[in-house]
Amino acid sequence: MSQCETIQESIGRWLDGELPATDSEAVRSHVAGCADCGAARQRLEKIQLTLGSMLSAEASRLEFSPFWREVQRRIDEKRPWHEELIDWCRSTFSAPRLAWAVPAAIMLVLGFLSLAKWPVGGETNNYASVESIDAYGRNVALLRDDKTKTTIIWLYQNPEGENENVEETAKPGPAF
Amino acid sequence: MLKKLLNPVLLFSLAFLAVAGWLSAAENTPQAVQVTIRTILAGDKSDEFDPKLKGMEQQLKALNHRSYRALKDETQTVPWQGSKAFEIPGGRSLTIAPQEFQDNRIGLKVRLTHGDKPLIDTTVKIANKGNFILGGPAHEGGSLVLSISAAVQ
Repeated sequence: MSQCETIQESIGRWLDGELPATDSEAVRSHVAGCADCGAARQRLEKIQLTLGSMLSAEASRLEFSPFWREVQRRIDEKRPWHEELIDWCRSTFSAPRLAWAVPAAIMLVLGFLSLAKWPVGGETNNYASVESIDAYGRNVALLRDDKTKTTIIWLYQNPEGENENVEETAKPGPAF
Repeated sequence: MLKKLLNPVLLFSLAFLAVAGWLSAAENTPQAVQVTIRTILAGDKSDEFDPKLKGMEQQLKALNHRSYRALKDETQTVPWQGSKAFEIPGGRSLTIAPQEFQDNRIGLKVRLTHGDKPLIDTTVKIANKGNFILGGPAHEGGSLVLSISAAVQ
């Protein structure tokens, strides 16, 4: 591509003031010294002038006030409730928001499960659940103290003499 | 497809689920259980109450004895599915074997022996960091009271 072709492609933007200062100066100096590019510039200026005068003449005949009145009417118009509801649903349940609802729901479920698992309010349930007891023939009492939520397994001494330690004797058991 | 996979919301959800799953798995598989046996002598010959037992005064009151004296405290770390023996005054031995950990409760197999003779075998589930009481064996004119507590590690 020759220099003139490059310059002629830029003349339109140069006339519109869209070129950077250095490019604009290069085009200006070239056009001033080149007859072909000077002619191209004149053609473009003529076209711009013709179009500008035509558009101005047409625009003066147009009535814009009805257009703006209609815009204002639409702004002021109260929309039916179902249209507002549809718009609200559309904005609320749009894809990005709905996507964040998934981890939020997971967090809520996990939080609820954690609360169900761990004691709330500080007081722990200290009750023990006894699954099996084998006292090898001895008497055993299984008690639960409601005040302290404590489970007590009390092994009674055998009064018949099957004492585990003949030298030690305890009373039959506490009076629960 | 790759762009969809790299969606920050999806990545956050996956990471969150992975962390929750890892924490849940960690909670359900504790490494060991710290078991503490507190041996107390309960009697009726005096009104002595050992100040060291202040923290469990309310629990001991349920036993309806007049005096309580702390004889021994012993803590051992018991590996999961293993067992440890605790020496109890009067030639007795208490063997503790953690069985399972579920819903923040620890399953313990407890065996009290006197020499070779078994006195009691029991399986209980207690709250993590909670306790229960095993009492009754005669000792020095009173009764031994064992507070058995456990906490997962």
